[in-house]
Amino acid sequence: MRSRATSTSRARPPAAHFEIERFELSSGARLLVSRRPGASVTALQVHVRGGHSLDPSGRAGTAFLTGSLLDQGTRSHTEEELAIELETAGGSLSGDASGLSGTIAAAEWKMLVELACELLTEPTFPADRVRLQKKRLLDRLLVEDADPRAQAERRFQRLVYGEHFLGRPVQGTAASVARLERRDLVAFHRANWVARRALVAVCGDVDPRAVARLMERRLARWQPGELLAPREHHFPPRAVRVDAFEKQREQVHLYLGHLGVQRRHPDYPALVVMDHVLGTGPGFTNRISQKLRDELGLAYSVHAAIHSSAGIHPGTFLAYIGTSPEHVATALAGFRSEIERIQREPVEQGELRTAIDYVVGSYALSFQRAARRAGYMISVERHALPDDNLERLPRQIAAVTAADVQRAARAHLFPERSVVAAGGPLSPRALKRIVGSLSV
Amino acid sequence: MMFKGSRRFGKGEVDRITTQLGGMNNAFTAYDHTGYWFELASDRWERALEIEADRMRHLSLDQTEFEAEREVVLEELAMGLDDPWRRLTERVQAALFERHPYRRPIIGHPDALKALAVGDMRDYYRRFYHPGNAVLVISGDVTRAAAMRAVRRHFAALPPGPPPPANGAAGFRPAPDPQPGEQRLEMRWDDPGRRLCMAWPAAAVGSDDDWALDVVSTLLAGGRSSRLTRRLVLKRGLATSISTHNDSRVESGVFWLLAECAQGIGPEVLERAVDLELERLAREPVSAVELARAHSILISTEAYENETVTDLAEALGEWAADGDWRLALSFNEKIRAVDARRVREIVQRLLVRERRVVGWCHPAAPARRRASRRPAPRARPGKKRARPA
Repeated sequence: MRSRATSTSRARPPAAHFEIERFELSSGARLLVSRRPGASVTALQVHVRGGHSLDPSGRAGTAFLTGSLLDQGTRSHTEEELAIELETAGGSLSGDASGLSGTIAAAEWKMLVELACELLTEPTFPADRVRLQKKRLLDRLLVEDADPRAQAERRFQRLVYGEHFLGRPVQGTAASVARLERRDLVAFHRANWVARRALVAVCGDVDPRAVARLMERRLARWQPGELLAPREHHFPPRAVRVDAFEKQREQVHLYLGHLGVQRRHPDYPALVVMDHVLGTGPGFTNRISQKLRDELGLAYSVHAAIHSSAGIHPGTFLAYIGTSPEHVATALAGFRSEIERIQREPVEQGELRTAIDYVVGSYALSFQRAARRAGYMISVERHALPDDNLERLPRQIAAVTAADVQRAARAHLFPERSVVAAGGPLSPRALKRIVGSLSV
Repeated sequence: MMFKGSRRFGKGEVDRITTQLGGMNNAFTAYDHTGYWFELASDRWERALEIEADRMRHLSLDQTEFEAEREVVLEELAMGLDDPWRRLTERVQAALFERHPYRRPIIGHPDALKALAVGDMRDYYRRFYHPGNAVLVISGDVTRAAAMRAVRRHFAALPPGPPPPANGAAGFRPAPDPQPGEQRLEMRWDDPGRRLCMAWPAAAVGSDDDWALDVVSTLLAGGRSSRLTRRLVLKRGLATSISTHNDSRVESGVFWLLAECAQGIGPEVLERAVDLELERLAREPVSAVELARAHSILISTEAYENETVTDLAEALGEWAADGDWRLALSFNEKIRAVDARRVREIVQRLLVRERRVVGWCHPAAPARRRASRRPAPRARPGKKRARPA
């Protein structure tokens, strides 16, 4: 059985390939289009560089609320008219802190493009819509303030990133959102939702030139704005820091980890493979699931990864488990021992091949949806990935050796300098005691 | 347990082989069927058949493995007990089905789970896992002839077992009970949210009522132009979110309405507003424009949900297991056939006060709850997955 499985998979992994056509619009925005003949769905994504890093001091949530209010009214349409027009055509379009995304039935792609352009360039932020959406966000944040999982995750980000904007929640806090006024959103939009910072991606059964012509017309008067000035980024040093949100519940949500890597780091392919061996391989093929879920029965949900959050800025290495309070020490010790093992011992060949075969073989399968292709085009542009990345990355991953994995694990994992955040029936003091006892 | 060893594939082999082939697999259990799926590239898909054929008749069901997996499921249960929506919908469902097994959460209750022995698993497996009680769906870049040849190669030697009884499981269990009038229940949870759950006994899968309730659900809460979302959330700000769900099942489904009350709004204000919208839908015919929009939303959602070959296989398999796979092909036509008269008729007949259960989850003072393992019922519209998605 074994040899056949391996030989079949070696034969030739399915290829992921699609053409991307690029256009520079006169407003300064960059457009990427991928034609997909026969596709039933057209997807569009707009990324505007900056996002919540540009939230004014004390006003976390500005970028998010600005983005989520774009569809609440424009100079040409009320919020209700926008909803009716899109939904009648089977479409949807919505914004967030860093852009817009939407889908529509293939034949209606022009409507999706036109409405996206309208949202980008002429939102009116009607006062009653601002009031209502702000209240909805505040209500949600209030409930989230009592949710142990959400609070543990927030604490984890804060412990890792400190005062850096990545340590702040994108949606803001109840206190910061309460301060936001309509004028904050209008000013934020005027200064930051500008053409030269925008990347637009469209995937569907469309003629790329026709998309470009339409966008050129509709975005002709979009303010070009300024490119983002380069900034220095400072992160707290990696060290043991602990915090917990105590709430009476059945389970504790545990987050262990530290500052991770940037997407452009040359160790990225090795870290993808390492993650699959350590904590993201499907089913029970990764070590952390095998040990903590399958052998010890500590959890239904457990995983660990560093590559998936790697971005323009360093992401995090994060190991997560939701488990009963009596299992917290065992779970943390289990994470630590598996992290140390992957640093200490080279991964054995069979395990390495399994991880590589999966990543390489499943790569093409992950591009079936139009929205995924649009998202991929944005990330190619943001991270300045090479044009042949779709072919190159699987090749790089296939070439990763056991020594590469061990070297990457030693260079990028720091079990003895990890933060630990928890949410559930466990006090900060009890968590400190457990973490302290494991560090000895 | 289907991932923990069979005659030819030892523990962990199913995942290892799938992974080596660059594929994915998982499993799920709904109220009326369990599904197993593989997603593999088209040059190697046949391996999935070998695995399914072997574990369909030759599962190991090892005692030690069973006990370990039970611990995992108990943790999954604990996860659900921390979700106020799950707790609320479980209670509502238990009230809705007095004796029928649909009253129980798919994952079960902790005490029942702890009492299960590996022998119970073996009995269940022997009774239900054989080709005569299974549906196999293959979707992708493969011809019908090649697929059939492969299926015969792997499954021909298996004894088919008895076919499922003509009336499904209905012959073994009590019919869903008629509602004794509106039932109301309340629970407390220590966060500031106020949650409303209404549920009505609803439609059997694939019945005419099923399609009509899909349209009703979309008119009420499908998208930003729907009635409840538009009027109660986006205009009046009475709720932060509202959703409806036509959860059709083989014997009798559930029509769900879930709403999160806005802070500072009295629960009675929100409930009254919901009632008025339901009454309006029962009284006044819906306009042609609004109806056409609901049809369009449903049909395009169906297209998005069937964008990948795995989506398609899952949809066909679920229709086949619970009714007839041909229904998947007539979705658009059935939806378009639901007219204004039909909408009014079904709301008047099914979504009435005396047939429903209304559950509220109110905020509680934090100190009042204890972190004990209470055997609370659990039921959420949807499926229980073998592993996190």
